[in-house]
Amino acid sequence: MGDLLYAFTEWLRTTQLTELALAISNHPLSIWIGSHFWAIPIIQTLHILAIAAAFGSVVMINLRILGLSGKRSTMTQVSRRYLPWIWWALLVLVLTGIGMVIGEPVRELINPVFWVKMVLVIGVVLVSLWFQATVRRNMAQWEVTHDGRVAIRIGAVGIILLWCMVMFAGRWIAYAPV
Amino acid sequence: MDLASVWQALETSAVGSFVAESAWAFPTIESLHVIAIVTVIGTIAIMDLRLLGLASRDRAVTAMSNDTLPWTWGAFVIAAITGSLLFVSKASGYMANPYFLAKMAMLVCAGLNMAILHLSVWRTVHHWDSNQAVPTAAKVAGALSLFFWILVVFFGRAIGFTLGIYE
Repeated sequence: MGDLLYAFTEWLRTTQLTELALAISNHPLSIWIGSHFWAIPIIQTLHILAIAAAFGSVVMINLRILGLSGKRSTMTQVSRRYLPWIWWALLVLVLTGIGMVIGEPVRELINPVFWVKMVLVIGVVLVSLWFQATVRRNMAQWEVTHDGRVAIRIGAVGIILLWCMVMFAGRWIAYAPV
Repeated sequence: MDLASVWQALETSAVGSFVAESAWAFPTIESLHVIAIVTVIGTIAIMDLRLLGLASRDRAVTAMSNDTLPWTWGAFVIAAITGSLLFVSKASGYMANPYFLAKMAMLVCAGLNMAILHLSVWRTVHHWDSNQAVPTAAKVAGALSLFFWILVVFFGRAIGFTLGIYE
């Protein structure tokens, strides 16, 4: 696994990303972040708080689907309460994420784990959009029965696990072989 | 008893040296720690926002508490276990770090805040459970909870940038 990631890093170094990372690191904004010790920790704190808002909401919606929480609320109430928080938090995550890339472009862009995380993020967003549409179609039926079909339950567990993988990869960016 | 030798004993213990020396143990436990803390704060914030009247206003306070609290506590147990494992790997370093001590202080404050809420205004929760205005004391508790937990994250992240500076 380590060897594979190292080979990935070697390949990233041969791409245009190297020039891009160097160009970003010469930008005044990158220099400003780099010269202020607390800039990166503060951006990371905001990033983690946004994950807390998004993941907390993801957990509450999916626990409702699994019938493990919020049973006295309708599916409509639960999704109306938590869905906007997920998408707004995602916006904050993207903005703070861009801030981290600008602050430390080489550490992020020439990092195999960063790209693994990006693929996982796109995956979780696409799966969530599809899942959201499916849940919406079945919402009326669920108001009565409280729980959906097996496939939907697997989807609910899968989305929680995908988010956990995103966070796992996020933390491992700091430990990648670069 | 000399506390410094206690921290050193933890570091040289089988668990402490394993976490410190293994290539994958620390990052893996740290990842689980982040997932657990994010779950704790995400679910607590849902409750705090209800107390502040900023979200879930159409739902009873006790219903929100029943929906979130078991998951908050479950995640907290995982955060405490993983946090302890990270701690023993560099116990003296953490104890010398002001941000680690500040994080622990914020955890104590968050715990006390929750205890005070439950021993005081929460006793009459059935009078203000739904529809009625939340008493000011409960709103203050909600706001303080958000404040303390935000600082837990900030100090937690600050530790990673300052470990080793204060030894």
